[in-house]
Amino acid sequence: NIDPNSLLPKLPRPEELKPFPTLCQTIFKGHEGRVRTAAFSPDGEWIASGGDDGTVRVWSLNGHQEWSARLSPDESVNIVRWRPNKDAFILAAAAGEDLFLAVPPLVNDATEKASRDVLDAGFGHAAHNATTDGNNVIKKDTPAKWSRPGTKLEEKGVLLKLTVRSAIKMLSWHRRGDFICSVSPRGQRSSVAIHTVSKHLSQIPFRRLPGLAQAAHFHPSRPYFFVATQRVIRCYDLQRQELVKAIQPGARWISGFDVHPGGDNLIVGSYDRRLLWHDLDLSSRPFKTMRFHSQAIRAVKYHKSLPLFADASDDGSLQIFHGRIVSDLMESATIVPVKMLKGHKVTSNLGVMDVDWHPRHPWCLSAGADGTLRLWA
Amino acid sequence: MLTALPVKVIFTTDEPDLALPETKQQLLVPADIKRYGLSRILNSSSMLDTSSPVPLDFLANGTFLRTTIEEHLASEGLSAETTLTLKYVRSLIPPVYEASFEHDDWVGDVDVFGNRAASASYDGLVRVWNPSGTAIAVSSSGRNGGHSARLDAVKWLSGKQLVSGGLDRKLVVWDYSEADDGFSGSLKPSMELWGHEKAINNIAVNGATGRILSASSDGRVGLWTSSKRTAPQADPESLPAAHSNKKAKLAASATTAQRGPLAMISAHDEPVTAAVFHPHDSTVAYTASKDHTVKTIDLTTQREVSRLTTMHPIMSAAALPNSLVAAGSSARHITLLDPRESATTTSAMTLRGHVNMVTSIAASPDNEYSLVSGSHDSTCRVWDLRSARTGSADEGGGRVSEPVYTIGREWLKNKKLPTAGEGAKVLSVAWDSTWGIVSGGEDKRVQVNRGRDILNS
Ligand SMILES: [Mg+2]
Repeated sequence: NIDPNSLLPKLPRPEELKPFPTLCQTIFKGHEGRVRTAAFSPDGEWIASGGDDGTVRVWSLNGHQEWSARLSPDESVNIVRWRPNKDAFILAAAAGEDLFLAVPPLVNDATEKASRDVLDAGFGHAAHNATTDGNNVIKKDTPAKWSRPGTKLEEKGVLLKLTVRSAIKMLSWHRRGDFICSVSPRGQRSSVAIHTVSKHLSQIPFRRLPGLAQAAHFHPSRPYFFVATQRVIRCYDLQRQELVKAIQPGARWISGFDVHPGGDNLIVGSYDRRLLWHDLDLSSRPFKTMRFHSQAIRAVKYHKSLPLFADASDDGSLQIFHGRIVSDLMESATIVPVKMLKGHKVTSNLGVMDVDWHPRHPWCLSAGADGTLRLWA
Repeated sequence: MLTALPVKVIFTTDEPDLALPETKQQLLVPADIKRYGLSRILNSSSMLDTSSPVPLDFLANGTFLRTTIEEHLASEGLSAETTLTLKYVRSLIPPVYEASFEHDDWVGDVDVFGNRAASASYDGLVRVWNPSGTAIAVSSSGRNGGHSARLDAVKWLSGKQLVSGGLDRKLVVWDYSEADDGFSGSLKPSMELWGHEKAINNIAVNGATGRILSASSDGRVGLWTSSKRTAPQADPESLPAAHSNKKAKLAASATTAQRGPLAMISAHDEPVTAAVFHPHDSTVAYTASKDHTVKTIDLTTQREVSRLTTMHPIMSAAALPNSLVAAGSSARHITLLDPRESATTTSAMTLRGHVNMVTSIAASPDNEYSLVSGSHDSTCRVWDLRSARTGSADEGGGRVSEPVYTIGREWLKNKKLPTAGEGAKVLSVAWDSTWGIVSGGEDKRVQVNRGRDILNS
């Protein structure tokens, strides 16, 4: 008789997989109401957040708030994402139907000028795009209206606003920083839009999506674009305008997903409490299904340079995993749960709403419905 | 109840003025005696016969005795009949709370010179304090030649000059003067030093040469002179006017002289968190970075002499008089590195006890074996390198030392330490023989803790 367990590959113990975050090291207080979103700047020196109080804020890693702007008197800031390049310092933040692009005044003059130039470049193009009819109403066939957000916000460094047709829940930048996609689940035909910053141009890549759009990401290196509806993630070739593959995680309702920096693997989180790892080379079905939470998973994220990933759940915790991908095609990823991070208080059945990783260090950041951000190291 | 039998002890010491005559080095002591009792015995007229008590600590096998002798023998698995060798050393005296100086915002840095303290606050202002807690002088605002953003660093160059830096990327050299009565003073900007592209995190000065080192998030270390006469012209591209479309910026800087660096050294791949002068050689600097390294830099050639790579981002550093560099890590410990052993990563000792990032370190002004660290865990901890134990496997082995004193924030006294240092992170600590341990942080206070006699406290 052979013990079947002896045939399984031995997983390393968590202690052998250090470093990974184990303790809450900073609590960021200031938001009123839920913090819905958080992101590290590309240089890892700043943290941006947004929440139900309609503000976007930028913090030092030591917890000191350095900048804030109220984007909306009544809408939540649902998502903030930094433009991924270091040549400029640009933060995208969405409140309601408005997507704002800001240059928080925390950088040197040369970087600030470069950043403003990136945002201003499109005003020439905008003139002949003529996207509005002059009454500030978006024409039926126009995906978005690009405008200046008004003196008050502009003095704060919020320099550009684009208004889509339905509330934005997700944003994701293309690696080169000229394209950003927005996802408005209730936007029907225009739920997914790709915006070209240098041209102040917005496009709808799909006229028909089977299901409600939940999230979208650009492929990290190829001209592919991933779109998640409730049950399926589709990968499109943007150049050929065709479907490359459809991935079926088996979740009832996908809350979000992330693409591994290598481009061949995905993690998917679901409201039905599952975290799924997909190897795109292997199958349209998940390579691994993980259930660590008693409540919905709201966000999932890969580390950009270390073999780590995390999810954030309404049960108030974050589960940290080691996830090493081997270049050998015959071998699958090693996935080991290494730590559950607890500290956020569950508030009105909502727990951790977003998670991000420091670009280099094994530190992660969480946005909580309890009104705090937390840095874990 | 059985009373334990006395234990035979042999006393040794490395302190010549405290040596016992050979006939008195062996003694039978009660098994339940602790450090204080032993210290009292050695100070007694029949032993050392000291004129005033000398507080002593006792090293048993390299580690400070913190329990009864009986418990120590049991924990070491030794029989009660063992003859125990105790090496006695002068104790570090406990840093007793003295005073707090209130600020309007977080305190990013503190430094002392003579009987004056300087603080750099997140409100952008430098303040000079007397020992009774009066702010004698406050620097001018951003509109009048001061800083326009939060400050993370301030150092006294002399009793008459300070230098400060922070998020606005410039250093300001201040001329400090005081009224004859000592109750008022003025801080006038003497010059602005431009060259960094990102925030300045840390400053070091060498008073004798008037040299300044700056550590910046741009990955570079600036070398500057405090002399306006000899300072190089600033690179016009580095000045705020170069790219600015804001007239206000132009107007603000017009009145203060603007100068550039003697050298701008690209030392690290990530933010430089500390730059310090070699304690005995002002042409050598140690730099520490979030890129995990501590480097030795020859300031004359601006070349890297050696590099020590650690496992973690380094958040703070201090040069110790014994040629070691103490590096505070984001992983909550301090590593003592020996930069003389080139190209190795071996640390001489690890100091464990903080529960959050170690963001500030200062060497003792009085001896070679102690230092103080400040951490986001809302404490300062005092370390005595004479005591060390063998690290566990989980600690990575090596020699490990633990804090001898933990200084909390006074207003938190008797309260639970806040999670994640919430509201009370220590951002800076200085140690001076007259001021004692001076620390500043998130609680908007400078806190002074001064050593007092261990036996009378
Ligand atoms: Mg594979």
